[in-house]
Amino acid sequence: MKRQTALFIGLALVLTACGTSTPPAEPASVIDVGSLYEPQNLDNAGGGGQGVIEALAGNVYEGLFRLTDDGQVENLLAAGHKVSRDGLTHTFTLREGVRFHSGDPLTGADVKHSLERIIGDGSKSARKGDLSVIKGIDVPDPSTVVVTLSTRSVSFVYNLSQVWIVNDAVRDPATTEDGTGPYKVGTWRRGSSLTLDRFDGYWGERPDNDGAVFHYYTDASALNNALLTGVVDLVTSEQSPDALAQFEGDPRFRISEGTSTTKLLLAFNDREPPFDRALVRRAVSAAIDDRKLLRSIWGDHGILIGSMVPPSDPWYEDLCRLNAYDVALARKLLAEAGLPDGFTFTLDTPNYDPHPTIATFVKSELAKVGITVNIRIITADEWYTKVYQRHDFTATLQEHVNDRDIRWYGDPGFYWGYDNPEVAELIKRAETSATAETQASMMRTAARRIAEDAASDWLYLNPQIVVSSSRLSGYPVNGLNAQFPVYDIKER
Amino acid sequence: MRVRSPALAAGCALVAVIVAMALLTFFWTPYDPADTTGGRLEPPGAGHLLGTDRLGRDLLTQLMLGARVAVVASLGAVAVGGPLGPAVGVLAGLAARWLDDALAVVLDILLAFPTLLLAMLVVAAKQTSLAAAITAIGLAVSAVVARLTRVLVKRVLAQDYITAARTSGTSWPRIVTGHVLPNIWPTLAVNLALQAGLAALAEASLSYLGLGAPPPNASWGRMLKEAEATVLTSPVAVLAPGALLAMLVIGANLIAQGIREQADPTLRRSR
Amino acid sequence: MIAYLRRRVLLLAVSFLVASCVLFLLLRLLPGDPANALLPMGATPEQVAEVRHELGTDLPPLEQFASWARKMATLDLGRSLISSLPVGSEIAARLPVTVPLTLLAFLLSVLVAVPVGFFTACRGRTWYGSLIGAASQFGLAVPVFWVGILLIDLFALRLRLLPAGGFPVDGWAHPGAALTALALPVLTVSLVMSASLIRYVHSAALDVLDSDYLRTARALGASFAGAVWRHGLRNAAAPVVSVLGIELATTFLGAVVVEGVFALPGLGSMLVRGFAQHDYPVIQGILALSTFTVLVIGFLTDLVQRLIDPRLRRTTTGTPA
Repeated sequence: MKRQTALFIGLALVLTACGTSTPPAEPASVIDVGSLYEPQNLDNAGGGGQGVIEALAGNVYEGLFRLTDDGQVENLLAAGHKVSRDGLTHTFTLREGVRFHSGDPLTGADVKHSLERIIGDGSKSARKGDLSVIKGIDVPDPSTVVVTLSTRSVSFVYNLSQVWIVNDAVRDPATTEDGTGPYKVGTWRRGSSLTLDRFDGYWGERPDNDGAVFHYYTDASALNNALLTGVVDLVTSEQSPDALAQFEGDPRFRISEGTSTTKLLLAFNDREPPFDRALVRRAVSAAIDDRKLLRSIWGDHGILIGSMVPPSDPWYEDLCRLNAYDVALARKLLAEAGLPDGFTFTLDTPNYDPHPTIATFVKSELAKVGITVNIRIITADEWYTKVYQRHDFTATLQEHVNDRDIRWYGDPGFYWGYDNPEVAELIKRAETSATAETQASMMRTAARRIAEDAASDWLYLNPQIVVSSSRLSGYPVNGLNAQFPVYDIKER
Repeated sequence: MRVRSPALAAGCALVAVIVAMALLTFFWTPYDPADTTGGRLEPPGAGHLLGTDRLGRDLLTQLMLGARVAVVASLGAVAVGGPLGPAVGVLAGLAARWLDDALAVVLDILLAFPTLLLAMLVVAAKQTSLAAAITAIGLAVSAVVARLTRVLVKRVLAQDYITAARTSGTSWPRIVTGHVLPNIWPTLAVNLALQAGLAALAEASLSYLGLGAPPPNASWGRMLKEAEATVLTSPVAVLAPGALLAMLVIGANLIAQGIREQADPTLRRSR
Repeated sequence: MIAYLRRRVLLLAVSFLVASCVLFLLLRLLPGDPANALLPMGATPEQVAEVRHELGTDLPPLEQFASWARKMATLDLGRSLISSLPVGSEIAARLPVTVPLTLLAFLLSVLVAVPVGFFTACRGRTWYGSLIGAASQFGLAVPVFWVGILLIDLFALRLRLLPAGGFPVDGWAHPGAALTALALPVLTVSLVMSASLIRYVHSAALDVLDSDYLRTARALGASFAGAVWRHGLRNAAAPVVSVLGIELATTFLGAVVVEGVFALPGLGSMLVRGFAQHDYPVIQGILALSTFTVLVIGFLTDLVQRLIDPRLRRTTTGTPA
């Protein structure tokens, strides 16, 4: 009894103490986020997939730089950054007082380790190729990192914004997390949810909420139902546009539309007949009514693109006119190519939504100009083996989610096999150019060249739609490169 | 066939409606199946009795075309399972004890594995197609029928007249064709009719999961998948394919019941 | 009986081993590459080769088999190729969803189907008897996911009585919440399952009610209920138990679709993902567990049947139809 009283008094004292130093404690607010992209593991350089970036980038892990939601690159763990005149030596000064969730302080050795992880053997990172310009990494003192490059790389800092700084003491980042972000990974119930708990030792500004739970669904309808019934507060990326009607006009929900980098491609095998000829590719592109397709799939959302560049890139230019819908032109081009009666080809179609529907649409559009399409449904795994690695296809449908992936038109070894030395040279020189302006102008020319050649048929650009409870604010609208920082989300 | 069973008549009528619908699509549908000129997700109305899908295609047309896949899946699965199942079953029934044991265990395992898993394996080996789906469903049907056949064969073989035939020197093939098959055939026919219905159900499940008949074939399972997102706003797109599927399966079940009653008139008394 | 038991257990062990080996080789021989699930778009051929080497999937199938068999001998299911977490603990984490779902659905179906089946057998010609018969016909004829979609539409979206899907983040820490989450899935499975069970119980009961011994018992003065209780149940039970075993096994494995519709983190959804990514240890682990369960259930039903119906002790193996 005595002890209980003592405890009670102690507790009261603590409470009063808190009351005097901080404003009255708010009730714990945890944001329930609904998503279709569960991480495969916790390592973004080890096959964690889109999901690990969505949940962990910026929230749990931080880079030297941050890519903001409107596409700007700003300092994060790097307090300062200097570049030599030749652009080959980058010196980074690290922010002071940064600690990992385990309590270890951030040092230059961690940065070196994190970069080496990306470019080393066994790296499963998509940035491996971009960062292979790194020639050497030196750590002259614990708060300074000097990186030397083999050539100039104008996108180097942008690329660094996508590299997570991990504690070099962690042996298996796929299963254990140790980042510097405002949240640490709490419990992960695989197949169901991932909890982010606020990290009290965070170096920066305190998040506007006490934590977030990412709830994972494999089915877009189930995810929408969760939002409708209040299980989740928002959906990171709406993939079932048919369901949007349920939320539109309902005051309990808010729909925001940002731009994504997800381009839906009808990709030709540019190596082999009939699509080794630009005439045939242009004919097919002109015969498909992209606007009608976009409307069918996404209703009033999303936009058309005429090349591989989304409007969020600095070198965007509206090129839709180059391969606009024109059945008469399609017929004329086919006749010029010596195929007035059309031809037959097989379309390798991934078996998940929306590809089968698009294939059906493409088939019925091309039938109008005499081209017969055989739809072949394949799994994602088969797509990678057959189309991506073996180049064994005539044409295929694929969503390309990556940012700045126009560069693959400069690589004749890429699955679509577009081989144009001029474009390859432009893309290479753009990366080694001295200023962002020169880079942008070269990239713009490259984008125009591939559009004139109809290297692929860019059907449309997905919208990035967040549906949220109207109580919430502060969530990212664009979610660039699949990241979804939650630290600014709060209830109004 | 003097006795006409009401169940058989009702079953035949239900199945006939679906089959007629499937056949009709070869000559006439309300709209061209590839016609995408309708609006996006239009509600049911005068122009489109059941509304349209997101590509603007007429749902009634798709629904009618779906009957084709359902009927083909039923017949296909029975075409695979009809010969294969009894063959394995008879083999197990006649075989040495160790082989019989082995087959019994294999059948037990196959039987418990849902068609879905078989389909995943078949699709992994081949590509997604109606043929792959039918192969998987047919294998599942075979397992069920084989298991039943095995028991029936054993039951017949235990009869005295088989022993008599054996002692008088009749060969195994003659015993099978002369005594075993005629005896077990009615029961097998009943079971195959049931399985035909279940095969349509299985195809719908596979299509729902993206493992069934690929587009542009219309399949009720995939129509259900697409309509699932809009169940709150247009429930008819979910209800209609399910109802037609139920019609086909109930029809097959009633036919099975009818065949059994024809073969054994005493059954009708109590049911 | 002892000889029989020994024989069955031996058979069970051998068939489990054979099934696992066949499955292993089948999975490796089918086309598919787990490296595809780990690598992003833009991966170079060198990266693909490195990952295959790291996963050990570039080795010849027989060598992979040897290393797998060594692990299996120590009951080690290995680690997932994708998440690099131990498969055993991953499966254990999913069981608290799939097992309660299966057992609750099974229990509910039996509780509904056995009395209803008997009742309709006794009162087959009344209008409500026919109505129940027709309803069970319908239950047999619709896909389980369709029932799920409609129940979600009605109970979760329109009436807002039950959750549309998902499972509590803290699992069974709050049993009430967990049970609520399982309510619609259990209802869905048991609607379909009880429909087929009703028919089996119904026809088994009819066979018994029509039998000579029951008529004899009644002629000897036993009451109808007493006769059914003493002679009917025991005789009807044998075929029903056989069907029950199969139903239980099928529900356990068939949870795949229901777990998908209701977004439940169970073994079914884990298996589907494993298949899509060719995560061999995961597929192998789950299927080993389910094969084992199926074989054991088959064994147990066989045993129970023998205890109920001594006539069966003459046949050798396999559950009679």
